Amino acid sequence: MKRHILGLAGASALAIGLQTGAALAQDCSVNVGTLYPTSVDWGRPIAETALWVGEMINEAGGVDGCDVNMILRDDQNDGRVGVDAARALVDIDQVQLLIGTVSSGITIPILTSVTAPAGVMQMSCCSSSTRLTEIAASGEARGLWFRTFATADVQAAVAAMLARDAGIESITVVYKNDDWGQDIGRMAAAAFEAVGIEVHASIALNDAQPSYRAEATQALRDQPGALYLALYPTEGISFVREWLGLGGTSVMIGANSLRSDDFRTTVGLANLGDFVGTDTSSPRVPSAEAFVDAYAAHFGSAPSGPGLANSFDAAAIALLAYHAAGRDATGTEIAAQVPRVTDPDGEAIPATVEGFAQAMAILSEGGSVSYQGATGAVTFDANGNVSAPAVSWVFDDSGMAEQSYISLEEVSGFMASIN
Amino acid sequence: MIGVVSYLTFFLTMAGIMAIITLGLNLQWGYTGLFNGGVVAFFGAGAYGTMILGGPAEPGQFGGFGLPYLVALGGGILLAAALAWVVGLLTLRLRHDYLAISTFGVAVALESLARNSQWLTGGARGMRGFPRPFEAVIESNFLFGVVFLLIVLAVLALVWWGIERLVHSPFGRALRAIREDETAARALGKSPTRLRLWSLVIGAAIMGAGGGLYVSYTAFVSPQDLLPILTFQIWAMLIVGGAGNNRGAVLGAVLIWGAWTLSGFALTRLVPDSMQLDAGSIQYILIGTLIVSMLLWRPEGLLPERISNPRNTTAGKAAPTSNKE
Repeated sequence: MKRHILGLAGASALAIGLQTGAALAQDCSVNVGTLYPTSVDWGRPIAETALWVGEMINEAGGVDGCDVNMILRDDQNDGRVGVDAARALVDIDQVQLLIGTVSSGITIPILTSVTAPAGVMQMSCCSSSTRLTEIAASGEARGLWFRTFATADVQAAVAAMLARDAGIESITVVYKNDDWGQDIGRMAAAAFEAVGIEVHASIALNDAQPSYRAEATQALRDQPGALYLALYPTEGISFVREWLGLGGTSVMIGANSLRSDDFRTTVGLANLGDFVGTDTSSPRVPSAEAFVDAYAAHFGSAPSGPGLANSFDAAAIALLAYHAAGRDATGTEIAAQVPRVTDPDGEAIPATVEGFAQAMAILSEGGSVSYQGATGAVTFDANGNVSAPAVSWVFDDSGMAEQSYISLEEVSGFMASIN
Repeated sequence: MIGVVSYLTFFLTMAGIMAIITLGLNLQWGYTGLFNGGVVAFFGAGAYGTMILGGPAEPGQFGGFGLPYLVALGGGILLAAALAWVVGLLTLRLRHDYLAISTFGVAVALESLARNSQWLTGGARGMRGFPRPFEAVIESNFLFGVVFLLIVLAVLALVWWGIERLVHSPFGRALRAIREDETAARALGKSPTRLRLWSLVIGAAIMGAGGGLYVSYTAFVSPQDLLPILTFQIWAMLIVGGAGNNRGAVLGAVLIWGAWTLSGFALTRLVPDSMQLDAGSIQYILIGTLIVSMLLWRPEGLLPERISNPRNTTAGKAAPTSNKE
């Protein structure tokens, strides 16, 4: 056994030696850890988007003149494997910046046992748990934690706003039984009640059930005026088909996770006429449209999966902050530069190669920029959470169309009024 | 270089925790023939038990007693043992595949319980903020890793020593007798039901210790940690290493955990940039191939069980001790 371990150590040392040799041949390079569940169907495009940002930054001149070397690892959606991969990235590849991951059950142990103790900055696209806010607020994250996923409270509040404006009197909440679903389901129920809508029941859907008939029947018992759906497309499709088949109402409000072509085509556009969705993005700026166009040009299809715009912004903001902090920066120094990238008073820059080049020039001169990302001009609060304006959207012939835009001020004002 | 050492320290810590759990399964399966398909349930009971007793208080939630580390860890181990005792009373009349299915069901039920009992386990959000042992007094992150590795190795050594003592005692021989031929063991005056229960409970307590150590490293536990993949990993470790042999169990744990994690590390260096996105899937194929080829090539494991005692001592001692059992 001992010999085996020594062998492994030797092999890793050799691999590192080889790698350093290769790195020295170029001018310089900066290692950035990227950890996403690439072996899971929905995780792969999220990772692909992050790697694409790395390419764009390199085209724009690289981080502080150095090529970004995005080292991608798969977390297999398994906490132990994810923590190990993060540990290898931090210890062996010596990254000061880790981008990832999706599942909060993996992101949290990485933050508490790997990145925060080692002083490495961590930025996630999609982790949604409110535990992360608590960890940041307690100081355990040492200011190194950020996420571009707008926490569930904004979407929950906007859903209540839409329901109130549509004159809905009673509603049943159906949520995915994971950390995200439990959070958003609870917050949405509270928000509906705060605006005077009767909440009949909150029903949890467990993953991977062949049928959700029992849950649909349970929801139907109260004859609610509308449904609130905090579901992913897989169980969303299955549940909504059962629900409509049983004669349930077609008035539905959905979270941004249902923003999927699969959901639209499988449930059928004819059944989704009364469906309205919420999201926390702002396709008001040219860069958001630019993102959709650039994505389609690069990957050959429109960005329709969950988390893609968030993944883009997570990588872009983190890498621009890295540039501002310099090639030899520590994680703490990179984290300290994030406000300079998302400064509302800074020069507005689009999320394109030219925009990145422009931003990097301004940042190098000590100025600040307002990054206009794929999810809008995001800013972070003290706990690394994003605050963003919201939109409502509907399904149409061509896919999904924006219905109304709710500015940051309106969202904050409404949230203050119901709390 | 310090980075490599630091990573290896961490790798050995995780492999050590896996090895502890594998030793627990080895007692159950390797020595007693109990097909435990719910390893992760006992790991989870240990992890949640330790967290509830030793973690910080949360508003609106049971637990958060902030007890001293050893008390919390001990409580986690006791919870795992208690769970095994209840499960054992209900299911130990079942044999082989029936026992496997019912223990698997227990594990799935426990995961569901953890996911839904928000007042007890925090639900899907999990529980956080466990004070990691000695972290407050150790400044350096690296040194903390080394100290934690030593703690894990100490527990591993203790478990190893305990199991070795146990299986070489009359009790251990009785366990093997039950594994080989239950009717014969009963004819010799052994009580298979009681012995099987003891084996299940002790093995589960060891798995619970693994869970407690894991949660005290990550300072966080959530239902994501209770997925059946862990049960599969531990079984792969025991089968590849060699059931009925503690050395085999530990070797298997290190090898399989190495294959599981270092393969991902190696692939990021070996596959071309254009295939980075597929590295995760390639890794799964490699792990699967390794396990399947081990089963084909050495179904008895790398270090199979050895009944090394000369026949006369084994046979000679078995009869007189039967009174004690």
